[in-house]
Amino acid sequence: MIDFFIIPVIKVIILFTVCLLIVAYTTWAERKILGHIQLRYGPMRVGWHGLLQPIADGIKNFFKEEVIPDNADKAVFLLAPVISISVAIILLAIIPFGEPFTIFGKKITLWLANPSIGILFILGFATLGSYGTILGGWSSGNKYGYMGGLRASAMILSYELSLAFAVISIIMMTGSLSLVDMVSAQHGLWNVVKQPVAFFVFLISGTAELNRTPFDMPEAESELCCGYNVEYSSMKFALFFLAEYTHMFVFASLVTTLFLGGWHGPFLPGIVWFFIKTFAIIFVCIWVRATFPRLRYDKVMKLEWKFLLPVALANVIVTGAVMALV
Amino acid sequence: MELFAILLFGIAATTTALFVIFSKNTVHSALWMVANCFTVAVLFLLLNSQFIAILQIIVYAGAIMMFILYAIMMLNLKKAGDEDQVKNNLAPGRLLILGLFFIGLIILGIGFSPQALKGGMGADALAGFGEINLVANYIFSKGLIPFELVSVLLTAAVVGAVYLAKKD
Repeated sequence: MIDFFIIPVIKVIILFTVCLLIVAYTTWAERKILGHIQLRYGPMRVGWHGLLQPIADGIKNFFKEEVIPDNADKAVFLLAPVISISVAIILLAIIPFGEPFTIFGKKITLWLANPSIGILFILGFATLGSYGTILGGWSSGNKYGYMGGLRASAMILSYELSLAFAVISIIMMTGSLSLVDMVSAQHGLWNVVKQPVAFFVFLISGTAELNRTPFDMPEAESELCCGYNVEYSSMKFALFFLAEYTHMFVFASLVTTLFLGGWHGPFLPGIVWFFIKTFAIIFVCIWVRATFPRLRYDKVMKLEWKFLLPVALANVIVTGAVMALV
Repeated sequence: MELFAILLFGIAATTTALFVIFSKNTVHSALWMVANCFTVAVLFLLLNSQFIAILQIIVYAGAIMMFILYAIMMLNLKKAGDEDQVKNNLAPGRLLILGLFFIGLIILGIGFSPQALKGGMGADALAGFGEINLVANYIFSKGLIPFELVSVLLTAAVVGAVYLAKKD
């Protein structure tokens, strides 16, 4: 009873609260960091240095008026944000946050589940998350939303490939699909040293899958005036927004798990190292957003099909050859 | 318990499949198809094959349905033709044939299922059935030649499709 029900439920509650708090404060961090990079302060009014801003935003979103456009496809319009957020949160379940520890004679693992299909679960469900984007754009009955949704599906279809091939080289080195095994295998040397090419391919295609600048084709403000979520208001918009940042957190923790040695690190406990690395990756994402301009649409596609995919494939072949020879 | 789950998701799979056919909006059809892929994935899970279940989600629900949705949106298909036409196509005679077909399927299913559960495919044999190691070992040893032949065939099909789509 305790092992199968109470401990998992407590873990789910902690995971849910902590991660959603982190996600809420990622939005604050993004605004602050962007502000400071551009020589301004960012949010300053609510709380000390705007620390209560995410909470104020949340309350504001609750009380906004909900608008459903006349020519929207109502059922799908309502379903889209739900798909987005639920799929994003499901991904948190199998991320290993730290090494297992023992309390009151019980072994507690810092992950909710460790299925044998591990990373495939994440790849599969991360793709499903983009259904929210696509359907949101399509069902709005708005041409900008429509274009945004179309672009989102084209982006996912292409960048999913190089992402998967970058992961395959890691799977080949570990010999297992489970994320926990992958972290354990990096006890000595991190994968970023052994697989630098896969690391960069994963970072770039991951940023593209997150729809973040410089690849934010589906929402490109200057072309599509916010793209797929243009007709969404109130809490439904907030759910899309939350989903996007949850995906970013999941992506950062995946980079940590796959390439930066997960919870391994000297002196500090594992979970602290995990969050240090994850926040470093989130910072890189925000930094990239502040630095690079948005690419033109055809260049985004060229980058994937003519550069990233061949590089990722070559990396898989080289990894296989080296593993066969050594 | 397991039987109940299988029945539930079997019914769900059939219902969603029916919705795929009877939705008038093509995008709704595609969405029901995604739901159908999910229920089938759950059925695979109940058969102890995690790997095949997740492949069902990645390949069908993720990639292929995304392609179909993309194509539907690119072509901007509107609602399916006149309702009268749909009704004419579903004239009573055809419904009768359809019903007989289903009854036949059910009889076949009931007839075969007890045998399938006995013998070589009992619970013990199913325990490690869909594990990824087993699938990989099979594909890369016994099934290697058919596997490679299928991939060559698919490549040929893609090249052919590109050639056909090209306007001189």
